[in-house]
Order: sequence, then structure tokens, then C-alpha cells
Amino acid sequence: MAHFEIKNLNFSYPTMPDKLALEDINLSIEKGEYVTVFGKSGSGKTTLLKHLKSVLTPHGTTSGEVYFDNKLLSSIDLRDQSSKIGYVMQNPDNQIVTDKVWHELAFGLESLGYDQKTIRLRVAEMASYFGIQGWFNKNVSELSGGQKQLLNLASIMAMQPEVLILDEPTSQLDPIAASDFLNTVRKINLELRTTIIITEHRLEDVLYASDKVVVMDKGKIIACDEPRKIGEYLKKENNEMFSAMPTPVQVYYGVEDKFDKNIECPLTVREGGDFLSTIFEGKDIKEKEIDIPEVRLDEGMNPAIMVKEVWYRYDKNSPDILCGTSFMVPHGKLFAIVGGNGTGKSTMLKSICNICKPYRGEILLDGKRLTKYKDSELFKNYLAMMPQDPQSLFVKKTVKEDLLEMLRGSDADKENKIREIADLCEITDLLDSHPFDLSGGEQQRVGLAKVLLTNPKIILLDEPTKGIDSFFKIKFAEILKKLNEKGVTIVMVSHDVEFCARYADICAMFFNGTVITTNTPNKFFSMNSFYTTAANRMSRHIFSNAINCEDVINLCQKNL
Amino acid sequence: MENATRFSQYNPIINFTFFIGAICCSMLFMHPAYLVASIFMSLAFNLSTKGLKSLKMIGFLLLVFAFVTVINPILNTAGNTVLFTYFNDRSFTLEALTYGFVFASIFVSVILWFSSYNAIMTSDKFVYIFGPVLPAISMIISMVMRFVPNYSTKAKQISTARQCIGLAGENGDKKDRLKNAESILSSLTSWAFEGGISTADSMRSRGYGTGKRTNYSIYRFDYHDLSLLITMILLLGIVAFCSISGATKVEYLPEISINWFDNIYTLVGFIAYVLFLSLPTILNIKEEITWRILRSRI
Repeated sequence: MAHFEIKNLNFSYPTMPDKLALEDINLSIEKGEYVTVFGKSGSGKTTLLKHLKSVLTPHGTTSGEVYFDNKLLSSIDLRDQSSKIGYVMQNPDNQIVTDKVWHELAFGLESLGYDQKTIRLRVAEMASYFGIQGWFNKNVSELSGGQKQLLNLASIMAMQPEVLILDEPTSQLDPIAASDFLNTVRKINLELRTTIIITEHRLEDVLYASDKVVVMDKGKIIACDEPRKIGEYLKKENNEMFSAMPTPVQVYYGVEDKFDKNIECPLTVREGGDFLSTIFEGKDIKEKEIDIPEVRLDEGMNPAIMVKEVWYRYDKNSPDILCGTSFMVPHGKLFAIVGGNGTGKSTMLKSICNICKPYRGEILLDGKRLTKYKDSELFKNYLAMMPQDPQSLFVKKTVKEDLLEMLRGSDADKENKIREIADLCEITDLLDSHPFDLSGGEQQRVGLAKVLLTNPKIILLDEPTKGIDSFFKIKFAEILKKLNEKGVTIVMVSHDVEFCARYADICAMFFNGTVITTNTPNKFFSMNSFYTTAANRMSRHIFSNAINCEDVINLCQKNL
Repeated sequence: MENATRFSQYNPIINFTFFIGAICCSMLFMHPAYLVASIFMSLAFNLSTKGLKSLKMIGFLLLVFAFVTVINPILNTAGNTVLFTYFNDRSFTLEALTYGFVFASIFVSVILWFSSYNAIMTSDKFVYIFGPVLPAISMIISMVMRFVPNYSTKAKQISTARQCIGLAGENGDKKDRLKNAESILSSLTSWAFEGGISTADSMRSRGYGTGKRTNYSIYRFDYHDLSLLITMILLLGIVAFCSISGATKVEYLPEISINWFDNIYTLVGFIAYVLFLSLPTILNIKEEITWRILRSRI
């Protein structure tokens, strides 16, 4: 007996009646299954999930049926649906309704009309299960992003749903909070037998836990199989979604022709490491490291940015956020600062922008003190920062108007400049859309375009890869490379270790208010043992400096 | 929840009943003894609730008190006992001065009660009390309390973001600055609208609006609450009964006439009144002493 049964579902939005957002969807989900839905942004994942709960189903033309517990979903009472089908959305902030943690936990139960005693028990149960006791009495506004999303999950679990639907729940979280969250989801699945249907970019954290993976493309399900088979399918089809697969899977199929077919596809780092050990068993490893041209960190006299022992705190009586930070950024490079949450990375960027003014130490831009620059010259044709949330940059009704805001001069001039920048950032098709209607990856590029119109020589990016899928990341990296070639210096702050390892020229580790170490990505990540890429972690017992899956594949090819 | 005093830990209904009683009485009774009691008890309670922070306010209140007391006889010349005359026979009377003192006392004590009220009656307590009566209103209050800090954070974010791409408008003229503020507001509105849709989805997906709603709260009503509530009602009853029987009968104009403590009602009513007003302060102090003793035994 299937828990959810979707039969011949077709759907189109009223704004685009000719284009099917969902086409011929057939899917059956068993009770207690963990199902991962995966696809590029805009492939219809969210639309599909929203069809699994009547109140969220978007307006449009629908044909086909959705059955829940063998009953037609639309015939099930909304009150029943709200308790049995739990739905967690993307943005942790917008889902929270009330101002207190305890009240939020009780919200669903209040709506369903439970009495005090039941609610008290359920709330207590949930707070204990999710480890919320410590912040039970707090205001919601005091919580971190990870805590907020956990609260959303807990307040839905309080209604004891049979199915939990999660729509990219971790896209706004940092990697540590994200894997905590996904582990909790896994725990719920294993301990409570709750059916899980999840869409997620971070495949490495969900694939191994899944019973079934559904791959969507342009509104269709193109594959639905167990996780170990999905990689094979995508590889065979030469689908570009293969690049989103976890590193062990990519390595496995990268050296496919070199080993006996009986070895199963690895999904986790541990399995990946075992896999490499197996295929190299008894073999002599001739080449242990890849050659990379020696890059000298240019320590010239006039770096683009020079930070000298900068100290900063928000308030006289608050603790120091920056404690004697020093580093320098050479011209025309992509400089990545990695490090955990709350270590002061964003504050560092703000102090380079002169938004946070250090109380000790100095910052030099092109050899000139930051304090000597006037705001008008600093942000005109020289320095610009892209905020963590690109939405903060959008103030107009269309992308084009937003870009026009940045320009002065004749209309023809403006048109030219916009065309040029839209070309570079690949947003020409989006110019007439409302900026808030775009996907995360598109907003990121529009934001970048707006920032680039100030014609900066130095760009600061705060978490530019947050919430965007792996295909958009590749596109984004290409744009950054083009800018580097034009001589633009880019400093980015990020949690995204894989992205920095692949694309940055220089990486710096930020911890406890200072830069601990600076090096080329290759040296940086091969020296670290925890804070490093999956490829490095799975191959370090065999190869000494492989940090991307291409490196691992190359070395395997050479040695087999 | 930091620095919770004993009184603030009682059920919000108790807190609210007390404040309603204290504030109404302080406004109604014009008997000088009652007024003095109200001022001193409100001051003591404010100190025991807010600690040294309340001292800052007291200096300001003294000024207000003096000002209101003196301004009344200047504006109002009624009264039989003329103390002195000034400007072409304008009289300054004892009765008007006393009336000014009465008015100032009421004013100051009510401000003090309200200051304590703000410290104790947080929004969630208010929602707890009115939730069952006005479910929609209490829900809205809770949501507003959630959104206000959210919006101000976002507004700051947008303003910083614009500053970093040279659109701050800070160095520009008034027109530029106005335009910048308008842009921030417009962006904030789009953002709020966008968020509002998800919030509405999140509410509906958790069953909001599918039927009868209950109100949950973390407050309990236990034995201590009940006994305090009964005590308060009893004391208030005595005060009301004595007052109706003429305990607080006073006249200031044109001649001062007051029922003093030789009237049995005045005496009993006054004692009950002082007891009532001092209840929370006594509870707070008692708790403090218990802690001191417990700590000294360690």
C-alpha cells in the first residue's frame, strides 16, 4: 500500500498555459521511505512537492490524481491534512509566525484546537527530542538560522505528521548547521518511521540516507531509482546534473573502465576511501601527487588590499570581533576567506568597506589608507561589496530598472552598458522580470551585475554561493574568472569549501577574529585534515595533494 | 526572564489584577493619606522591581511633582484661604495649592505604577490574558512582536548594501537622501510582501483557519496564585466598602474638609489600602531575604 501515489499528474501555471510545469508525473512513495527529489532550479521540484498538500497547491490547470493513504488527496479534510502532512519550506525566517519559541512550537496544535494539557505534553516532548530546552523561553529573533530551521521542523513534528515534506530546507544554512539539520531529519525517519520527501542541493548529505532518488528535468521525472543507480544513469545520459553528484560517485564513474565491475558505487567519504583502497590493492603507486605550477604569492609593495593588525568591536563593552587581523590581497586574484559561522568574516568585509571602523590597526587600499578615501571616491569606480542576501540590492519593479538606477548619462550610453553587463552575467533574458521572482542563482547574478555597474576594481562578496545549486555555481565561477582576467580583484568570504578549493587563487582560514593561515588552495586544503574537501578526505591515504575530484580521477588514471 | 522578581513570576492574571486595582485606586482616591501611601508604595515597588535603574526616573518625577503642585494655584485662584497676592490682586490660595499637590501625587504615582507595569507585563503575558477573549487580536500582537525587529534588521541590511555600492545618498542633497529612503522603503515592502506569502503558507499548512483555535500558554495558575488573588480581592473589597461609607470623602474647594482617622472607616480602609499596595513589594523583599538566608547557609 503506497503512502503517496501520484498518477498522470500534469500542471501548468496560469501565466504560462502552454508550458507544462509538471508533465506526466507518476510516482509512488511507500510508508517510511526516504525520497530525495533532485534537479536544477526551475525543474519543477517545488511545484511537485506543493501538490502533495492541498492548501499549498498552486493555482493553475491540473489533470491527474494524487492519492494519500489510498484516498484522493483533495477529498481529505484540510484539518487532517495539516496534521498528517508536514511541510518545511526554504526560508527559515518567513515560516516562523509568533515571537516566542514556545509559542511557535504550539502554533500548529493551537490551530487544531488541542487543549492545554495535550499541548503542554507535546511541546515538552518536542523540545526535549530536538534539544530546544536551552532556548525554549527565548524570543525567535535571538536565534541563529540553524536554530530557526530546527524550530520550524520541531513545530511541525509536534503535530505528529506521517509524512514530512522538506523543500530545500538547508539552502540558507551554513554547512555545519545544514548537516545537523539533515541528520535530525534522518533520525526522524529512522526512529519514528516518518515518510520523508526532500529536495536538496547538498546531495552528499542526503544521498546515502535515501531509499529512492527522483531526478527531475523540465517538469518531468527522468529517473527514479535507488541512489547507487542514479549516478550510472546520469553518466550514461551524459547529463550535466552529474556534476552535482557527491565526489565519491564522480570519482567512481571517472575511473569506471579501470576496475572490475563488481564493486558497488560509493556514496560517502568512507565508502569512497574504501573504494580507492580496493582498486589500488597490491598495486604500486608511482605518482602520489599532481603537478601544479608553483604559484608565488605575490608579496609586492602595493597589494590591492592590505590589512594590518585590525581590531574591531561593535561596542566598547562587547567582545572583540576582529583581533589583530592581518593579510594582503594581490591584484587581479580571487581571494577566498573560509571559516566557521560567527568568526568575524563578514565583519572583516564590512571593515574593508569602512562600514565597521576599526579602533586599532589600519587598512590600505592600493597603498593608500582607507580613512583617507572619501566615500564618494571609494564606492565610485573603485570598491563595491555584494551583500549576503542579494535581495537587499533590489529596489525596483524590474531587473532593468534596478540596473538603470546605477547609471548616469545619455540613454544610449545606459542601454549599451546594460547590454554589456547583462551579457557578462548572462541575465539578458531576465531584464524584464521582477527581481524577487528570480531563483537564488539568478538573483545572485543580477546582484552581481548591479554591483559591477559601479565599475569596481575590487569586489567583496559575502557568501556568494549560499543557496544556489551546483550548475549555477559553475556559471558564477566562470563570471568571476572573466572579471579576474580583466584585472578585477575579488575577495570572497565563504563556507563553501568545495567551491573555494576549485576556483580560488588564494585561500585564507579565518578563526576567532584573525586570519590563521594563507596559502594556495592546493597546499591549503591538502594540509588540513578536517576543514577540507571530500575529495581530499577520501584520497589522502593514497595521494598527497588531490583536492578536487578531477585531481583524484587524474591520479587514478595515471596509476592504473 | 532574567532577574525575575517574585511578583513577576505569579500568573499574569494576578499581575494584571494588581495593576488595574492599584492604578484605578490611585486615580480615584484624593484623600491625602491615601495619596501619600500610593506614592510611597509605587516607589517602593518600582525600586524592588527595577532596582537601581528606577533611581534615574525619580529625579525627573520630583521635578514634575514640584511643577504640577505650583502651577495649579497660579492657574486657579479659587479657594478661601489666601496666602498672598501678586500682580493686581491675583490671589494664591492654600486650597488651590493643596489641590495642585493632590493632582501631582496622582500623576506621579500613576506614572510609577505604569513604569512597573511595563517591566512586568511583557507582551506574551498580555496575550495570555486576552487570548481567550480576543483570539485574533492576541495572535496579531504576537505576530507584530515578531515582525517589528525583523523589519528593522532588514532595513539596516538594505541601507548597508546600498552604501557599499555607492548609493547611500548621504553626501547628496535633500532630494537624493529622500530618494534613497524611498528606495529602501520600496525594497522593504517587496521583501515583506514576499515573506508574508510564505508566512501565510506556513500558517495555513499548520492548520490555521481550519476550525476552532485554542490558546496555549506556558503560565500556570496554582495554589499560590489563588491565595494571592483572594487576598487582593478581599483587601480591595474592604477598601471599596469603606470608601463608599465615606472613608475617602474629601473637599478641597472652596474650603478644605477631610475625614481623618477618627472616622473608623477611614482608618480601616487606609490599612487595607496600604496592605493591598504593598503586597507585591513585600513578596519581592521576602523572596530576596529567603535567598540571602539560603546563600549564607552554604
